[in-house]
Amino acid sequence: MADLEVGAEINEVETLVRRDFLKILTVSAGAVALGATVWPFINALNPTADDLAIANPIIEVGAIAPNSAVRVMWNGQPIYIRKLTPQQIADNLAVVASSLPDPADFTSRVKPGYESFVVVVGLNTGIPCELLGNSPTDARGPVDGWTCPCDGSIYDPLGRVRSGPAPNNLAIPRFSFLNATQIQLG
Amino acid sequence: MKFGIFAAALLAAPLGFGATAHAEDTLVPLHWQSQGTFGSYDQAALQRGFLVYQTVCASCHSASAVHYRDLTALGLTTEQVADLIANIKQDNQPVTLNSRLIGALPKAQAAATFGGAIPPDLSNMVAARPKGVAYVYHLLTGYQPAPADVTLMAKHYYNAAYPGNQIAMPAPLTDNAVTYADGTKATTAQEASDVAAFLSWVSDPNLDARRQIGLRAVIFLIFLTLLAIATKRKIWRDVG
Amino acid sequence: MSDQTKTWLGSRLPIAHNIGNQLSRKPLAANQPYLAALGMLITATLLFLVLSGVVLSAYYVAAEHRAFQSIQLIMRDVNDGWLIRSFHATGTTMLFAAVYLAIFRALVTGSYRLPGELVWSLKLVFLLLMLLVGYLGYAMQDSAVSYWSLHGVVQTGAGLASFPANIFNWVFGGPAGPGTLTRLAVMHGLLTFIALGVLALHYFAKQAITPPAEKTVPLHPYYTSHHFVAAGVYVLLFAVLVFFAPHLGENPLNQAPANPLLVPAVTTPPWYLLPATALTHALPGTNGGIIAFIAAFAVLFGMPWLDRSAPGARPGFLYKLLVVVLALDVIALCLVAAAGPSTINAVLTIVFIGWYFLHFLVLTPLATARELN
Repeated sequence: MADLEVGAEINEVETLVRRDFLKILTVSAGAVALGATVWPFINALNPTADDLAIANPIIEVGAIAPNSAVRVMWNGQPIYIRKLTPQQIADNLAVVASSLPDPADFTSRVKPGYESFVVVVGLNTGIPCELLGNSPTDARGPVDGWTCPCDGSIYDPLGRVRSGPAPNNLAIPRFSFLNATQIQLG
Repeated sequence: MKFGIFAAALLAAPLGFGATAHAEDTLVPLHWQSQGTFGSYDQAALQRGFLVYQTVCASCHSASAVHYRDLTALGLTTEQVADLIANIKQDNQPVTLNSRLIGALPKAQAAATFGGAIPPDLSNMVAARPKGVAYVYHLLTGYQPAPADVTLMAKHYYNAAYPGNQIAMPAPLTDNAVTYADGTKATTAQEASDVAAFLSWVSDPNLDARRQIGLRAVIFLIFLTLLAIATKRKIWRDVG
Repeated sequence: MSDQTKTWLGSRLPIAHNIGNQLSRKPLAANQPYLAALGMLITATLLFLVLSGVVLSAYYVAAEHRAFQSIQLIMRDVNDGWLIRSFHATGTTMLFAAVYLAIFRALVTGSYRLPGELVWSLKLVFLLLMLLVGYLGYAMQDSAVSYWSLHGVVQTGAGLASFPANIFNWVFGGPAGPGTLTRLAVMHGLLTFIALGVLALHYFAKQAITPPAEKTVPLHPYYTSHHFVAAGVYVLLFAVLVFFAPHLGENPLNQAPANPLLVPAVTTPPWYLLPATALTHALPGTNGGIIAFIAAFAVLFGMPWLDRSAPGARPGFLYKLLVVVLALDVIALCLVAAAGPSTINAVLTIVFIGWYFLHFLVLTPLATARELN
């Protein structure tokens, strides 16, 4: 930044260099202070601990009885968490995926290691009605899954559509297992 | 009202803490580690204070600005906090890490029990009183027989530290109301001191972070100001 | 900036280039004190308050009984929220300290004297706006003290004669109701931007009357480095307060939620509002407080004409001494107001306010009339 003229005296050059070094140091330290001040402003607009707790709820699944499902509301949608019986697992493993209206095999509907749990959005993919079948006493249809009370679509325990106006399998929300008894949505 | 305390004592009985060191004597002279310009919270005292809070205070009082997950600031891991709260229930439901510290007693029932007085929320109790931490200690240890010239109102107790001296809360603490896992002797004074420390953390959970960041910021700004003075003097040298 | 960047910017955005060049070469008197940086510091602090206020407004809920909870959320659950709120609260303290200091300095140096009357008036307008904005921010907290303070103010407004009542209703929206806090939040922001405009007018008005100096230096690098030092000391003080005294001079009950059933015994406002509180408690009756407040500002606005000194005279020792006594008088008045109502305090308030008016209406004309250049 300093305009050094050719032939300047040595001590003059030294003075300029020293001033430049001091100036750069001062301006850099000022920039560091400014940056450290700006960071909390940016960080304050990140999601709060409360928002994250609501956005990614932790759900206890250890108490769900086999052959039944619980319903939790998340993001305004009913999430069904169903525990399969060994019989239901065996039956659905035997189904040839390509024979289904919306082909999907067993492993694509469950998390590896936690094959007995099915987590789906409990809304019919035809007319968006809430499905019946969470309790063993509900109308579950011929494959012991879920049925739609509005258009009669039939789903199996993995949430795959078997028949009816509905074109697609039930949606699977984002979730992960924290341990054998807890899942976290989102 | 004793049923609440006993119920809470039963619930809190399995609470256990990792710390093993005995508490240093903070009662003579009376002081707290967080006092002073650079003081920080004594985490062992906070953990003991939470035990007293959960065993005794939480029967009636809430501290609803705080979540159980926040207790990791007491020097506990998330797993330790989860173990700690495993037996705590609100409205007969087990609490989760995201639950707030709500009192066990419904407000209307509490008001009926204490002659119309509703146990206040303790979230900001220490901050909202002058010399709050000492006030809480003196209040909890300030129960005395009423002097002869004082006529107590119905369902009120004489307390030397309470403004007006007549308080609707019966003396909550007794010797050995809790059993400290670190072996500290649970005298009434020790319990009062610990719960006062815990409630000052509840009021001002950012004190430690604030002072740590503050010390660094101030040292850096002194350095920056000295640099600025040096630069200014160099630039202005030829102006005179 | 490298020369290449300068040339590029000059061809693409000549206005930025020209303003930057002119500003950095602007000749300034070579002998200014560090306090000359006050205007820059006040502007920077107000902008800092706008920035922190914008972040706070992302979480603040302007509704009765929910406002306090939302501030608890900011203090406890928002990332670094406690720091942002402390920036905002302490920034207010720093701003008022700087504004009161600037007004004291203007009185001591006599810069209000003609042709400085407009610059001086704009300073007072800025102080008035800041008192209002500061009060609105205090009331927005919906705490155990600010709740009752707001109700008192709104009731005062309802009982006033029509002229000040119109202003009250415009700002507060009539009697306190469900929408009052929303109104306060809107006014808090709006008046801040008006105050920024007043600061700009003050700057240009001051430029117009600054006489040419004998010896000048360019703004850059001389006054940039000079102001950097002033800013360093100011920010250092700011940081000490933010981190080690975030609740300086605050009524502890301001940290308790509003209780509509319980009026607190002492409703001390933040320190920077104390002069206004003292004035509004000075005279009895609903209109008494507002009359004292208007009169106190009227004599301040009248200073350029109450001052009887000859044109171009510098303030003498006696006058300067009187201004220092006045500052002590105002501080004493604030301490009395902070102590809360009592019989002795009512008397002291009258005495200190009496001295205030005596200073402006009698002592100032007498002391300055002796200065004959």
